[in-house]
Amino acid sequence: MADTKNLQELYPYWDGTRPAGVSPQEEAVAKQAIIRVPLIGNTATTPKRSYNWITEKVCGIIEAPTPLWWLIAIAITSTTSLLTVGGVLYLIATGVGVWGLNHPVGWAWDITNFVFWIGIGHAGTLISAILFLTRQKWRTSINRSAEAMTLFAVVCAGIFPGVHVGRIWMVWFLAPLPNANGIWPNFRSPLLWDVFAVSTYFTVSVLFWYVGLVPDLATLRDRVKSRWCKWIYGFFSLGWRGSNKNWSHYEMAYLILAGISTPLVLSVHSVVSFDFATSVVPGWHTTIFPPYFVAGAIFGGFAMVLTILMPARLIYGLEDLVTDRHIELMCKIIALTGSIVGYAYLVELFIAWYGANLNEKYAFWNRVVGPYWWAYACMMSFNVIAPQAFWFQYCRRNWVIIYIVINFVNAGMWFERFVIIVTSVHRDYLPGAWGMFHPTATDILTFVGTFGIFLTLFLLFVRFLPMIAIAEVKAIAPESDPHYHHPDDDRHPVAATTKPTHAKA
Amino acid sequence: MKRVFQHPPEASNGRKYWRSLGEQAETPEFKQWLQREFPSTHAEIESDGISRRNFLRLMGASVALAGFGMTGCRRPEAYIVPYTKSPEWIVPGKALQYATAQPRRRGAQPLLATSYEGRPTKLDGNHLFYKSGFSKVYGPSDTFGQVSILDLYDPDRLKEFRQGKEVKDNVVFFDALNAMAATFGDGEGVAFLADASNSPTRDRLRGELVKKFPKVRWVEFDPISDEAEVAASKAAFGGRYLQTPNWDAADILVTLDSDILDGDEGGHEAVRGFANGRRKLAKGEKMNRLYSVEGRLTTTGAAADHRLRIASTKIGAVALALATRLGVAGLPGSPVKLTEVQTKWIDELAADLLANKGKSIVSVGVVQPAAVHALGHMINDVLGNFGATITLMAHPRPESATLASLVQDVKDNKIKTLFVLNSNPVYSAPVDYDWATLQAKIPTVIALSHEDNETTQNATWVLPAAHYLESWGDAWGRDGTYMSTQPMILPLYNGLSEIELIARIIGIIKYEAPKADAPKSETPQGFGPELVQETFRRISKGTDFANDWSQFVHDGFLSGSAAPKVAPAFNAAGAAALASQAASAVLPDGAYEVVFYPSPAVDDGRYNNNGWVHELPDSITKLTWDNAALISPATAKKLGVPDRGSQIDDPYTDAESSIPVPVFMFTVDGKNLSVPVLVAPGQADETISIALGYGRTVVGRVGFGTGKNVYLIRSSSKPWICSDVKVNKTSETYLLAVTQEHGSMEGRGLIREASLDRFQKEPDFAHHIGIQLHGNKELYNNPQLVPGKRDIHQWGMVIDLSTCTGCTACIAACQAENNIPVVGKDQVIRGREMHWLRMDRYFSGDINDPTVASQPVGCQQCENAPCETVCPVNATIHSEDGLNVMAYNRCIGTRYCANNCPYKARRFNFFNYNERPLNELYYGPLAQKGSPETIKMQKNPNVTVRIRGVMEKCTFCVQRIEEAKITQMTKARVTDSPEHGNKSKLIPSDSIMTACQQVCAAEAIVFGNIDDPNSHVSKIRGDALHNNKGADPRNYDLLHYLNTKPRVTYQARIRNPNMKMPGAEIFLKDPESYAAPHHGHDDHAEPGHGAPEHSGHEAPVQPQGAQH
Repeated sequence: MADTKNLQELYPYWDGTRPAGVSPQEEAVAKQAIIRVPLIGNTATTPKRSYNWITEKVCGIIEAPTPLWWLIAIAITSTTSLLTVGGVLYLIATGVGVWGLNHPVGWAWDITNFVFWIGIGHAGTLISAILFLTRQKWRTSINRSAEAMTLFAVVCAGIFPGVHVGRIWMVWFLAPLPNANGIWPNFRSPLLWDVFAVSTYFTVSVLFWYVGLVPDLATLRDRVKSRWCKWIYGFFSLGWRGSNKNWSHYEMAYLILAGISTPLVLSVHSVVSFDFATSVVPGWHTTIFPPYFVAGAIFGGFAMVLTILMPARLIYGLEDLVTDRHIELMCKIIALTGSIVGYAYLVELFIAWYGANLNEKYAFWNRVVGPYWWAYACMMSFNVIAPQAFWFQYCRRNWVIIYIVINFVNAGMWFERFVIIVTSVHRDYLPGAWGMFHPTATDILTFVGTFGIFLTLFLLFVRFLPMIAIAEVKAIAPESDPHYHHPDDDRHPVAATTKPTHAKA
Repeated sequence: MKRVFQHPPEASNGRKYWRSLGEQAETPEFKQWLQREFPSTHAEIESDGISRRNFLRLMGASVALAGFGMTGCRRPEAYIVPYTKSPEWIVPGKALQYATAQPRRRGAQPLLATSYEGRPTKLDGNHLFYKSGFSKVYGPSDTFGQVSILDLYDPDRLKEFRQGKEVKDNVVFFDALNAMAATFGDGEGVAFLADASNSPTRDRLRGELVKKFPKVRWVEFDPISDEAEVAASKAAFGGRYLQTPNWDAADILVTLDSDILDGDEGGHEAVRGFANGRRKLAKGEKMNRLYSVEGRLTTTGAAADHRLRIASTKIGAVALALATRLGVAGLPGSPVKLTEVQTKWIDELAADLLANKGKSIVSVGVVQPAAVHALGHMINDVLGNFGATITLMAHPRPESATLASLVQDVKDNKIKTLFVLNSNPVYSAPVDYDWATLQAKIPTVIALSHEDNETTQNATWVLPAAHYLESWGDAWGRDGTYMSTQPMILPLYNGLSEIELIARIIGIIKYEAPKADAPKSETPQGFGPELVQETFRRISKGTDFANDWSQFVHDGFLSGSAAPKVAPAFNAAGAAALASQAASAVLPDGAYEVVFYPSPAVDDGRYNNNGWVHELPDSITKLTWDNAALISPATAKKLGVPDRGSQIDDPYTDAESSIPVPVFMFTVDGKNLSVPVLVAPGQADETISIALGYGRTVVGRVGFGTGKNVYLIRSSSKPWICSDVKVNKTSETYLLAVTQEHGSMEGRGLIREASLDRFQKEPDFAHHIGIQLHGNKELYNNPQLVPGKRDIHQWGMVIDLSTCTGCTACIAACQAENNIPVVGKDQVIRGREMHWLRMDRYFSGDINDPTVASQPVGCQQCENAPCETVCPVNATIHSEDGLNVMAYNRCIGTRYCANNCPYKARRFNFFNYNERPLNELYYGPLAQKGSPETIKMQKNPNVTVRIRGVMEKCTFCVQRIEEAKITQMTKARVTDSPEHGNKSKLIPSDSIMTACQQVCAAEAIVFGNIDDPNSHVSKIRGDALHNNKGADPRNYDLLHYLNTKPRVTYQARIRNPNMKMPGAEIFLKDPESYAAPHHGHDDHAEPGHGAPEHSGHEAPVQPQGAQH
C-alpha cells in the first residue's frame, strides 16, 4: 500500500491541485488506479479488522456452539450420502448391470462422475500452489477451503473408478505387487496411469493442505477449552511453537509442496484425458484433450469453489476476508477458462470437418444433432455462453447472477464429460453395433449421493477446522506492511510504522 | 457351485437307475458321513432349492447388505471322485464323438455329438456324411441342430409319469397300458396322433400295430406340413414324390415365397449349392443367379440378386404369368393386374430362364397353396429341369389319415383311446377344429410329450418322452439316406421313446419286474437297440449283421442307402387342372393379407422353451424373444403407426433397442388376434407376416410370455395365407427387443460389394473404397510378423460375404460351444446380449424395398489390438500364434477394452447370468443362486463359465486349437526327428474348425493357419509374411486404416445382377453410393426418398486415392 509520500511522487497533484484539462472524473480514475484495493476488508467502513479480529472471527466459528442450521444441513447431506453408500453396496452385491450400461456404452455415468469430480478437485490445488508460486496473495483468503474442497471432490471422484469395475474384489490386481505368476499390471494402460496420477495427486494435496493447517491448528490448540479438543488439535499441530525456526521450516516446506503440486495440477487431468485420448474411438482420440481437460477442470473447479464459498461467506459473515474482489477475480478466471473450453469445442468441430475422416466427422455431427443433442446443447450453452456474462463487471458483482452462472457451469461441466464419453462410444465405427444409453435410478441416486458426501465432508470441515488460513491472511493484512498507512488515516505515516507490526495472535 | 454330483434330481417315482458312482453312493451311511464332513454341501443336496435356503438367505440379507457376509467372495468348492472301474473309452476330460441324427420333418440331420464323461455337450454336423468341404472335418448343421442339445437338458422337461395330475410310477403305467392293450380288440376306437417324423422303425411298428389292431387309426399331424407339395406331386406325377434338387447344378434359382436358405425348406443342400454357385467367379465359370419373389423379406430374399416384393396371394399370379411367358399352355389368365414393372420383371426372368434351360430350379415355398406348387412343377417341366437339376424320390413316409378325418371321428364319438405322440394339437391344430373341446370328449388320452404343454393338461396319462439323444432310433435323411439315432445318455427322466411306447402297446416289449439279484447297472428295460436293429436288418439287407450294424451306428448312416431317383411321367393336364386354381386367389385392392411363416427360431412352437433360439436374433428383423406382425414402412404410415425418434419410413436413424410398438388387432374370419407390429423394410405393402410357434400358454419358464399365438386365427382352410384381413389399431403398446437398431452402413464401406461385371473388370475393387483403403506405414517391427520368430501356427479367418446368407446359425453354434449365457428379453432391451458373434445387417436403397447385406462380426483378433494396450491388468493379451486371448481369471471388468474395440466385439457379464434366474437378476444376493443342474451338464468343460463382472469375447475356439495342438504334440513326440523340425508339430492343414465355421452350410467362414501355405485360409489371404501377396483380390480387412491388422478378413460380396431387370441400375452405382450416408436427424423432405433414382440423395462418397 502506497503511503502519502509515495503518492505525491506518483501523482504530483495528489494534494488536490488538479492540472488543467483534467476533469474531476478523470482524476478520480487516476487516483483509483494508484491506490491498490486492500486484499481484505480493512476499509474505512470496516476499520477494525485487526489480527485479533481475524483470529476471533475464524476460530470463533469453531468455538461457537453448534448452530442449528448446521445440524439440519448435515442431517440432510449425510442422509443424501447414504444414496451413494446404498447404490454402491447394491452395485457390488448385484453387478454392474444395475447401472444403465450396455454393449456399445461400457462407460457412462460412472466415468462421467469420476471426471467431473476430479475436475472440481483442480481449483483447490491451483489456488494453493500455482497462485502461491506466482505470488497472487489474494489466494490466502480462499485457499484453505478450496483445498479442502479439492480433497473432498477427489474422495467423491475416487468412488467411481473403484466401484465401476466388474469384480471389485479383484481390484488389487491394479497394484504392482510381485507375485508368483509374474503378472504385472499393464503399464501401457491409461487406466493404470490414472490410478497412479489420482493417488499421487490426492496424497500430495492432503500433505499440502495439512502442512498449511499446522500453524492454525496450533492457534486452535491454544484457544480451545476442552481437554480432548486440546489434545486432538495439539496432536495434529505437531508441536508448533511459532518460533522463527518453525516458521522458517514451515515456509520452506510449503514452498516445496507448492512446487510439487504445481505440475500435478496439470498432469492429473492430462492423465485422465489420456483415458480417452489414447483410445481409437472417434470423439475420444483427440490430441487436444490434455490442455482442454485441464482448462475445463479449472473452470469447473472455480465454479464449485464459488458455489460452496459464497453461502459460507454469507452465513459466517466473512465478507471482509473473502471480499467481493475475490469473487470477481474468480469470475474472471471462469470467464477465461470457459472461453478456452469453448475454443476447444469449436476446434474439435473444425478438425472433425477439416480432417475429412468419415468416422470423426460422424462422431461430432452425431454429438450436435444425434439422439444426445440435448446434452450437447446443454454443454455448449452452460459452459460457453453462460460464463460470457463475466465480461461485465456488473455481473461479476451481482451475487445472484454469479450464483446462477456458476451453477450452469457446474452442470455444464458434467454434461461435457457425458457428451464426450457417451456420445462417442454409443455410435462409433460399425453402425450394426450402435446403441443407446439410458441411466437407471441407481445411476442417478449414486451420483446424487456424492453431493451428500461432498457437502457432509465440507460441513465437518467448516465446523472443526479453520476455513480461512489465519496465519496467511494475517500476512496480507494491512498491518503486516511495515509502511502501513491508511490513506484515509490522518495520522502521520510515521505513526503507523511505530505500531507493533507483529501483534499477538 | 458347491456341489458334489452332476445329476439332475431324479423323479420321485419310477425305478432308480444309477447314472454314476456318485449317485450310487447315496446310501444313508454315505449321506451321514457327508453331513458330518461337509455340512454346507449337504444342505445343498438336501434342499429343494427354494424354501429353506431362500428363507435363510432372506434372513441374512440385511447382514449381507451391510457388507459383513461376503460369502460371494469365497472360492467355489467341488469334489472330484475318480472312477473305481473305468468305463470303456472314457478318458476323463477327453471328448468322445458319436454319430447320431436329429429327426426333422423333411429328413433327419446327420450329427456328431460331443460327449464328456457320458454327458453330451455339443452337436455338430457329421463330417462322414459331408465329404466335399474345404476341411476334412467339415460337417454343417443349423440352428435347430445346434439348439436341440439344450432341449435335452431343459429343466422344465416332463419328469414324471402322470395319471391326470397325479404322479405315478412308470411301472403303474406299464401295467395300465398292458391292461388297456388287452381291451383294444381289433383296434376300433383306438387312434394315434403323431407328429411328422421320418423314422423307418416307427413306420415298421406302425405296420405291426395295424397288423395286430387292424382298425386302429393312425393320424399324422404337423402344423408345417408338406401337404401342398404332395398334392401337387400327385396331380403332376400321379404319386407322392418329394423333390430332391441338385442345387449345385443350377445356374438360375427362382424362389416363390420359398426360404430355401434358412430353416427346413431347402436344408443344407440348398445353402451349399447356392454357396458353391456363388464361388464360381473365375473366368470360364458361371456364377449362379438367385431371383426371389416373396412377400416377407426372408434370408433367401436378402441373398437374392433380384427380389420381387409382392403379396403372397399374388405370387400365384406371378407364377401364372411366368409359366405363360415360358410357353406353358392351358393356363388361365392372370387374375391380378400386375404393374408394368412387375410384368417387365417377369419378362426378363422368363428370358433368363429360357436362356438357361435345364440349368435352373424354381422352388415354391411351403406357405404357397398346391396350385402354385403345381405351377412350379409345370415351369420346371417346361424348362427341362426334371431329370437335369431336379430329381424326385418317393415320399419316405407312408400316407396317413389327416387330422380332419380324426376330428370327424371324434365328433362321431368313435374314438375311445387316443395316443398323442410328440404332438401338441391343442396348441397347434387349426382353430376351426376346436381340438381342445374335442380332446375332452375322448375318454382316454395318453400324451407322450417332451414337456408339459397345452395337450398334456387334460390328458388321462402323461408320459415323459425321451429326447433323441437319449433313445435308440433311426430316420430318413433328406435324400432318403437311412440314418441312425443313438443315445448319448440314459434317459434323464425315465422318458420313453415313441417306438418303445408303440412296441409296448403291440406287446413286443413287455414289462417284467426286475429280478432281486439283478445288477444295478442294468439298462432300463425296453431301452435297447433291438427295435431299430430289426428295421436295419430289413433295410440294409446285408449279410454280416454285426459288422454292418456297428458300421451303421459308427457312421451314423448307411452308405449308399439314398432313395432311388425316380422319373415318373409328367401329367401336364393334371398339373394344369390344379394350377388353374391359382387364378382364383385374389387380394382385393387396398386389402391386407396375413401370412404365417414357420419361425426360424421356435419352428412350430416346439423349441419354445429354448433360451438359445429365443435370444438368437432374427436374421432380418433382429427381433428376439417375440414374434410380431411384420409390416412395411409404407403400410405402417398408412395404418398410423406413430413415428418414434425418427420417421417411420426412415428407420436408418433409429437407435433404440427397446421398441414400444403399437398392438394391432387382426381379424380373420371372425377370429381376433392382437399382435404388436414391427416395421420391417422389405415387406410387401399388403402383407402382414406373423411367425408361428409363440404365445404358448402351457410352457416352461423360458418360453412363458413370449410372443402371440397365431394358431388362434389359423384355420384348416387358410393354413398360411389369409387374404382380406381386418386390421384395427388397439390402444395397447408392447415392448419388443431387437439386437440391431441402426440399419444403414452410413456409407462406410464395411461390407464391400460389386456386381459380377464390375468385379471382372476390376477384381481389386474392394481395395478402392472410401477412406478404408488408407493404410499406415509402421515403424514398429511386430515380432509376430518376423519370419522365424513366430509360432508355427498363425491363426486367421476369412469370411466370405458372397456366400454368407446371414442365417445366424453361427451365433447359435458359438453359443453352444462357448457356454455363452442367455440374458433374457429385458437384458436384450438394455443392449446386453452376450453373443460373441453378431450378424450386422444393413439396408440400403429404398426403405420399402431395400437391398440387404449381412456381415458376421466377432473379435477380429487384431495383431495391433486396441483392447490389449488399454487393459490395466493385462487380462487380454496376445498369444504367439496370433490370438487375442482373454484371461478371465485376471479380468477385473473395467470395460475399457470394450470401449476401445472399434468392432465392438467384446461382451461384458453385467450380471451373473450363469448363476441367477433371469427374472431375479436385480435381486442381488436375494436372488436364487446356482443354475439348474441339467443346464450345468450342457456346459463345455473346456471353456470357462464366466461369472459376473468379466469381459468375454471370441477367441477362435481356442479350446479346440489347444486340444489339436496337444494331440499333435503327442504325435510329434513319437515321430519327431531333426529333419522334421517344427513340421511334425504342425497341425495338419484344415483339420480343426471353429464352431461357427463348422456349422456354416455355406462354408462362408474359413479358419486355419495363415502361415501354412497348404491351408485353405492362406490361399485366400495370401502370404502373411509378405504383405498378403497372392491374396484373393476380394479379401479386405474391416477398418483397415486403423491399422489394427485384424486376423479376421472379409471377402467382398459379389452380386450377379441381370442388368436388364428393372431396378438393376442400382448395381451400376458405386457400392458406397447406394449405401448413402444418413446423418442423425435428417428430415428427408423430398418425396420418393429412397427410390432408386433418389437413393443417393446425399452426395455419393467417391472412392478416393489410389491402391496402396
